[in-house]
Amino acid sequence: MFRFFSKIWKEYKEYILLILLLVISLITLSLNQKPGVKKVRAIAFGTFASVTSVISDVINTAKVQSENERLMRVNAELMLQVNRLREYGILNEELKGLVGLKDTFNYPLIPATIVSKSLNKSQSTITINVGEGSGIKPGMPVINDLGLIGIVQSISEDYAIARTLKNTDLKLTIKDERSRVDGIMKWNGEDLVIVDVPKTYDIEPGDRIITSDLSSIIPIPIPVGVVVRLSKVETGIFNEVKIKSFVDFVRVENVFVMGVVQSKQKNDLELNFYKRD
Amino acid sequence: MKYQFIFPVLLFIPLLILQTTIIPLFSVYSAVPDLILILLVFYAISYGQIFGTFLGFGYGFLFDLITGSLLGSAMLSKTVAGFIAGYFSNENKRDVYLRSYIFSFIVFLCAVIDSIVYSFFSSAELQRNFLLLFFEQGLLPGLYTAVISIIVFIFLPARRLT
Repeated sequence: MFRFFSKIWKEYKEYILLILLLVISLITLSLNQKPGVKKVRAIAFGTFASVTSVISDVINTAKVQSENERLMRVNAELMLQVNRLREYGILNEELKGLVGLKDTFNYPLIPATIVSKSLNKSQSTITINVGEGSGIKPGMPVINDLGLIGIVQSISEDYAIARTLKNTDLKLTIKDERSRVDGIMKWNGEDLVIVDVPKTYDIEPGDRIITSDLSSIIPIPIPVGVVVRLSKVETGIFNEVKIKSFVDFVRVENVFVMGVVQSKQKNDLELNFYKRD
Repeated sequence: MKYQFIFPVLLFIPLLILQTTIIPLFSVYSAVPDLILILLVFYAISYGQIFGTFLGFGYGFLFDLITGSLLGSAMLSKTVAGFIAGYFSNENKRDVYLRSYIFSFIVFLCAVIDSIVYSFFSSAELQRNFLLLFFEQGLLPGLYTAVISIIVFIFLPARRLT
């Protein structure tokens, strides 16, 4: 018997080891949501990010002149916009005061720099140099001056990993800014798409897409992208809408994390509504 | 002999830093060359199939752990890639493989398989056009990685790395 197994091992040891390692990998795939695994990952990427942040600083310094010029231009444009918005704000406050509305749009912005990127077709993530110590929590949106970049996924003391919009695991409730139609947007490995959109919905190429008030992840309107085209589905009642993100994920370097997290109170209320005891 | 195990680990860290900081700046249609895979193929050819399989497993584990991708996905793809690269580890032809364009071909083959397996297990949607997926997620990054791998056999003397 021993001789038999010994012979098998000698003949096929490469294949036996391959199968063994593949099985371990498959088991590991199922352990991703375990708290222990999450903790180990947080320590690992935190340590690694502290090294990559040094290199990112060097790269960013080299680009600082062109970045400064761009920021000065953006700053001037924003100054004009801020002036206009300030006037709107004053008017808005007066009107809100009249109807007794509460201002709900007051979230802190935490500046951050991307220290490393993992770009691939299905699971793009970025590592940023702010973490739990700066008040970052999983679920917070990551944005820049152009729009939404992604959502914080895991955190360590000084760093955080965020899923970008180009990540198949991230699905968002969004809406068409013009027609106010809501939908679910996701990355399908190839394009950003709004899925299962009834053909009767008023969505046209060129429409701006923003995050929806209905979203429990980001309940405030943040620009996401623009409608590029509607897929021509001959059969069925649904369309697929292709979106082009406002953000260039390859070139983005400096970001902000918005100090807003999922509303637990809202989630609990909505879940309780559907409970049937 | 002890360097056989030390060098692959020592080279992995700086390459991973390059892979996550500098290399994304050179992306073409979202495809980036996979430096880790080039290193894996090099050592799998140099030290054999079992070594390549284990090394792929280790590289994949560290890559998943550090970059925040789904833990297990790169483990699977790199293990398979290391195993396939190990097929080309023939004592008589090792030098020919490592010092010629055949090396780039092997890298291309492994990179295509690595990318497709990785995409499959990191939940890319397969109801999309399969040929397009194969091109965008397999051939394009594979070709890019193979082109970069030419640098290895042109500029780096194989014996120094081992």
